[in-house]
Amino acid sequence: MMVTFPLLAENNQHQLRAHIKRQPRPQWEENRGVQRSRLDGGGSHPDLLCFSILIRHKGIDLMRHNGIGSSNTKEDVVMALSCLTRGLRSLTVSQPALLSSQVAAQCKLGAQVPTTVGQHRGFLTTAPLEQNKTFWKKREKYTIKPIGMKKTGGRDHTGKIRTHGIGGGHKQRYRWIDFQRLRYEPGKEDQPFEEKVVEVRYDPCRSADIALVAGGNRKRWIIATENMHAGDIIKTSGVIGRMAVLANEGDAYALGALPVGTLVNNLEILPRRGAEYIRAAGTSGVLLRKVNGTAIVQLPSKQQVQVLETCMVTVGRVSNVDHNKQIIGKAGRNRWFGVRPSSGLWQRKGGWAGRKIKPLPAMKSYVNLPSIAAK
Amino acid sequence: MSPSCGGTVDISVSLVLIISFATKSDTGNYSCMTQPPDTISPTVSIQIAGLQGQVWYWMLLGKSAILLFSLASLAVKYKRGELRRLSAHGAVSRLQARRHFGVSRCLTAKAPPARKPRERVEIPGLERITYAERMHYVPGLAKPVFPDWERDYKDPRHYRSPPVHEMPLYKEKPCYVFNQRTSVLEGVRQALWLTKTKLISGLPPHLVSVAENPANQIPDQDERVQNAIKHARFWDTTEERPRKEKYSKTLLINLIHLCATLQSSHPAIGRRILAEKYSLAATWKRGEDLFQIRGQNGLLHNSMDPLPAVSGSQEVADTADHVLETFYPVSPTIDLQKVHVYKEEVNSTGFRGDYPYPHSHTLYFLEGADARCKLRPEQFRANMLMFTFGNALAHAHKLYGTQPQRVLDSPVTVQAVGTNGRIFQFLVFQLNTTDLSGDDGIKNQVWLDEDVELYDFAKVRPLIKKKQVR
Repeated sequence: MMVTFPLLAENNQHQLRAHIKRQPRPQWEENRGVQRSRLDGGGSHPDLLCFSILIRHKGIDLMRHNGIGSSNTKEDVVMALSCLTRGLRSLTVSQPALLSSQVAAQCKLGAQVPTTVGQHRGFLTTAPLEQNKTFWKKREKYTIKPIGMKKTGGRDHTGKIRTHGIGGGHKQRYRWIDFQRLRYEPGKEDQPFEEKVVEVRYDPCRSADIALVAGGNRKRWIIATENMHAGDIIKTSGVIGRMAVLANEGDAYALGALPVGTLVNNLEILPRRGAEYIRAAGTSGVLLRKVNGTAIVQLPSKQQVQVLETCMVTVGRVSNVDHNKQIIGKAGRNRWFGVRPSSGLWQRKGGWAGRKIKPLPAMKSYVNLPSIAAK
Repeated sequence: MSPSCGGTVDISVSLVLIISFATKSDTGNYSCMTQPPDTISPTVSIQIAGLQGQVWYWMLLGKSAILLFSLASLAVKYKRGELRRLSAHGAVSRLQARRHFGVSRCLTAKAPPARKPRERVEIPGLERITYAERMHYVPGLAKPVFPDWERDYKDPRHYRSPPVHEMPLYKEKPCYVFNQRTSVLEGVRQALWLTKTKLISGLPPHLVSVAENPANQIPDQDERVQNAIKHARFWDTTEERPRKEKYSKTLLINLIHLCATLQSSHPAIGRRILAEKYSLAATWKRGEDLFQIRGQNGLLHNSMDPLPAVSGSQEVADTADHVLETFYPVSPTIDLQKVHVYKEEVNSTGFRGDYPYPHSHTLYFLEGADARCKLRPEQFRANMLMFTFGNALAHAHKLYGTQPQRVLDSPVTVQAVGTNGRIFQFLVFQLNTTDLSGDDGIKNQVWLDEDVELYDFAKVRPLIKKKQVR
């Protein structure tokens, strides 16, 4: 049985064209139903690729919305093949010289393109698999089990180095730290709770030590404070009373509940966001003053921030206090930490170098106080 | 469209198309004509081969070979609803190859990340007008959502289990399950609280005296035990030294065999049998929570006669004054597996009712039995205690029914031995009560002998012959 491939009806062509951007047609282009893609760049011949695009992109739509209105498989085959035949027909008609120049000029495909076949533009025959660089970070359920990490070497998602001096180093497993200290167990909301420190151990991913704490039915990792040992009981409370609480080291309270002048760490600047400041080894901030609903904390860099008093902090200094006194001793130890050598090129230092004596920056406020003028 | 033999194909080019909705029955040769007649009347020869669920068409046309990929297969899957389910499992869809179809841009750069599909807004009361009836995209109309395709017959190779809420055994109240890989945080203290048990360190004195009685010892006991250790540690392999799992099991079996040689003078040994890999299940309530112990723990000595009770009724009554140790702030249910799908009231000793050896005599635990879980000594002892309790409880439920009994007429006694190949832990458990709901009342008793070393070391030293090693 002979099967006739009908020409595309006009209405079909319009529908097809609607999906592909218009291109100015060169004069010698005589084929009617030809659609071109951007890759053409106004090229002469309808690329086979364009039909492939047609069918690829809109394969299903072609099937759905051809003018015939049938969802018959075979009709669709017919239609698709007709597009291709037309394209191929014009392909053979084109001048080889023009083709090759266009291929040279406009083909941007990489080495995957088979260049042996002459009269067509190259194309990608394989589907690039997604980079699986950050899949290990995409786990949703919390776990205390250490997670295997993939080192990036300072490279970003494009593969180029974005941060120099990172690479190599001992293999590390990531222990998922729960920075939101005031995380209630499901079912026991809004009650201050206590947790027991099970163990305090070294974390290869940060300078501070981490502690495994267990409370209720769950266990989690937190940043350990200076004098934390296994067996301690630490308290977490979000309640702000009228009187300031006499806080023990390692406990976590809201800023409004602490007396002025306490050393704090693991500060969160927005309530329930999770601690983002003062987490490094041996650091501590100072609660300077509390003023109507907000509290002002001095960070280790002497910068002052104003945050809501419901933000949580833990009391005390972060563990591993002698971290800054550590002597590296040799270049190899730095390489074990994953620090690559900096460029040895001597460069004249500019205005950025040298000691600067300047006033402290202004206090940064993370609180949207209603302005007096808005009354 | 019936296949026909097409005309001559004078050019050797193949064009590959993937077109959806085609089936293998479409294999064959097709020929086509174009209008107006062109220089080429290509003949199309189509073969269909299945390739991982995709249908490939080979078409002979022109001079170029083109490989076309399409979203067809994915679209088919989408239409079938499988793709949607795949993308619900975030990791699965991410790990599949995502085709990069944009050809208007540079193709060597990384493909842009997949955009999230537009969110579908449901407005109650308004009917969505979709282009489903029109069978083609109409700008302005909504995208139709078709129901997921369900197979109308049951295929055991393609079965998707329902979500947890729709399972027939789903219950609102959770149950905490202890299995053989559970490693409880607080160790023996937590196991004591869960089983409402009083701990007495050291084995019962009459058992110790039985062990020291020379009538109960085998002739040449020391030498035979040393031979058993040497066999397990040195001789049982063609490699340099056997691995820990292997030698601990060999040692245990050797020692059991040595004990069994006393059968001539102690006929009761003949009324026992060993069983391995039996499944235990027991249920009990503790406070508001339901607990279950389930699993295959290890080796079991079953006997025809029950073990006699270790402590008398007076001591049993005295345990009512003992206060269970709590470990605030840690909850006693920590590290237990919390399940919502469970069968209530499962109590099974692992054997059928007419088994000739119904009573559990001794359990033997090996530390290296399960390669996936490494238990620390404290957790290992807790594991031993829980499974001994489970055996005793299952047996008590079989004898006295599942209703909680405040005090059992004759307490159920079970023993346990655990080892890692060198260090042994001995445990004798006496179940006095099955009423475990409250913290007061009569408690069960356990005698625990921890960390008994059988030998100090068994080192494999290289043999250095004089005058041969320079």
